[in-house]
Amino acid sequence: MSSLARVSLSLARREMVRFFRQPQRVVGTIAQPLLFWLFLGFGFAGSFRIPGMENVTYLEYFYPGVMLMLMLFSAVFSTITIIEDRDAGFLQGVLVAPVSRLAIVLGKVIGATSIALIQTMIFLAAAPVLGLTLGFGGLVMVVGGFVLAGVGFSTLGFLLAWGMRSTAAFHAVMMVFLMPLWMLSGALFPLDNVPVAMKAVMMINPVSHALEIIRAPFYAEPSALLSDSHYLLALAISVVWAVGGLVLSMIRVNRREAGLSPKGA
Amino acid sequence: MIRIRNLTHIYPGSRKVAPHVAVSDLSLDVREGEFAILSGPNGSGKSTLFRILCGLARPSTGQVSIAGFDLLTEPARVRGVLGVVFQSPAVDKQLTVAENLAIQADLYDIPAADYLARRDLALAWTDLGGRLDNRVETLSGGLARQVELAKVLMTNPRVLLLDEPTTGLDPVSRRNFLEALQRLHHERGLTILMTSHVFSEAEDVDRVAIMREGKLMAYDTPQALRAMIGTEMVVIQSREAASLAGRLESELGLTVSVVGDEVRLAETENGDSLPLLEKILHRYRPDIRSISIKQPGLDDVFVRVTGGAASGQE
Repeated sequence: MSSLARVSLSLARREMVRFFRQPQRVVGTIAQPLLFWLFLGFGFAGSFRIPGMENVTYLEYFYPGVMLMLMLFSAVFSTITIIEDRDAGFLQGVLVAPVSRLAIVLGKVIGATSIALIQTMIFLAAAPVLGLTLGFGGLVMVVGGFVLAGVGFSTLGFLLAWGMRSTAAFHAVMMVFLMPLWMLSGALFPLDNVPVAMKAVMMINPVSHALEIIRAPFYAEPSALLSDSHYLLALAISVVWAVGGLVLSMIRVNRREAGLSPKGA
Repeated sequence: MIRIRNLTHIYPGSRKVAPHVAVSDLSLDVREGEFAILSGPNGSGKSTLFRILCGLARPSTGQVSIAGFDLLTEPARVRGVLGVVFQSPAVDKQLTVAENLAIQADLYDIPAADYLARRDLALAWTDLGGRLDNRVETLSGGLARQVELAKVLMTNPRVLLLDEPTTGLDPVSRRNFLEALQRLHHERGLTILMTSHVFSEAEDVDRVAIMREGKLMAYDTPQALRAMIGTEMVVIQSREAASLAGRLESELGLTVSVVGDEVRLAETENGDSLPLLEKILHRYRPDIRSISIKQPGLDDVFVRVTGGAASGQE
């Protein structure tokens, strides 16, 4: 059994090399959220007022949410490569190798999360422009939040992509399942003034909690957050999301397509 | 080395498709150091058997062990001794040859100190010298196949499984690939199981298995399989084929046919052709340019065993 770290990092490095060899992908995944952010940010600037947050512009409100969208898109585009790998034959070569099934999952997830993180860091450079400041502790907490969200999104993508045979089907699922998860996270609008049923969905949506732990460090001191039960609950749910996704992905990879048992046997 | 016992695989059906039996109560052994070919018409179950052997599918019933490890209970141990060459190459076309080999070294935990030596050894027989930094997508089909085989050999497998590895190769690449495979088989004592339905590939191997509708129809040496047909044929080349044919018919009472400048005698039981050849050679020597006994080819055996279900060609 090869070492888990060596195999995971090798497969993750492959993801990065492939990503940076396709400049269109680099431009596409960063330009789309940027345009979204600027258009919606300036477009809603006049009409957006939250009770109690009157001094927050929509551009600023949407800022953590758009970075989460970048994580979502980046992770999803990275996991689409599972379908391509299966199609092209690369995946079967990995499956017959004496490697832990967890390493196969980790390779994809570390690769996807790293690519997403690099892009998010570019976005993070815009924080001072908005008048948002982060100390070292706050920065660590924000990046930690991105890592959890990245692992959460990429394992979700992994689970969806593993059994699929066409990338077109994956795009469809992404639009009706993954995008709504993000829309109902509080990224686009606050959770306060929505119908109760929608609010319930938002509360059990792990993406809401990931957004919470990414947004909070911009507005509170790290020490204050670590004693805030609201923040700690969101952190705990985000950790459960990421770890649960990894475990389920590993179980999925481990399952071999099985033949039907003969009748009476 | 490879031991298959009473293997059955049934594909679960759906609402529209009935369950389908792909492999039915199949038992087969490949001994250590043997080179065996698995053939059969399309849909005979050989691809399913291949997927089970490399651990990608779990059979309905039956046992498989490879190098003494049970495939169902110890898949990780089996993967350690197995090298697999798939029909669609398991290389990343966007990466270079060197990058692909480096990933393989990581997957099989080849120590960094041994890596370059192992890589050079695995590449020694190929034409890939100087192409290490080229992306695989820029290589020809034959060279891409060589990357695939080099990659697998670098891991020093004890058992090699190949699924129609020569599909899509031109005749020269095909022959180079098979020669390399035969050489490695002899040098390293590899146990090899390869699916193929190109019978020119099967002539030099140790054993040939022929499947049909999920069952093993025949499994023997190429010589024994040819003998199964039980007939052979005397073929004479002559400048005056037509007149020679007439004299053979009238003077010896033989049934003959003329194809071009060849006179072909009716098939005989094995062993009966040699006395006939001597007799004809003795009487008609001046008219004969060459005379020989033709054994049936493996494709004749294939057509016989599978009931003509397929032509034996791709």
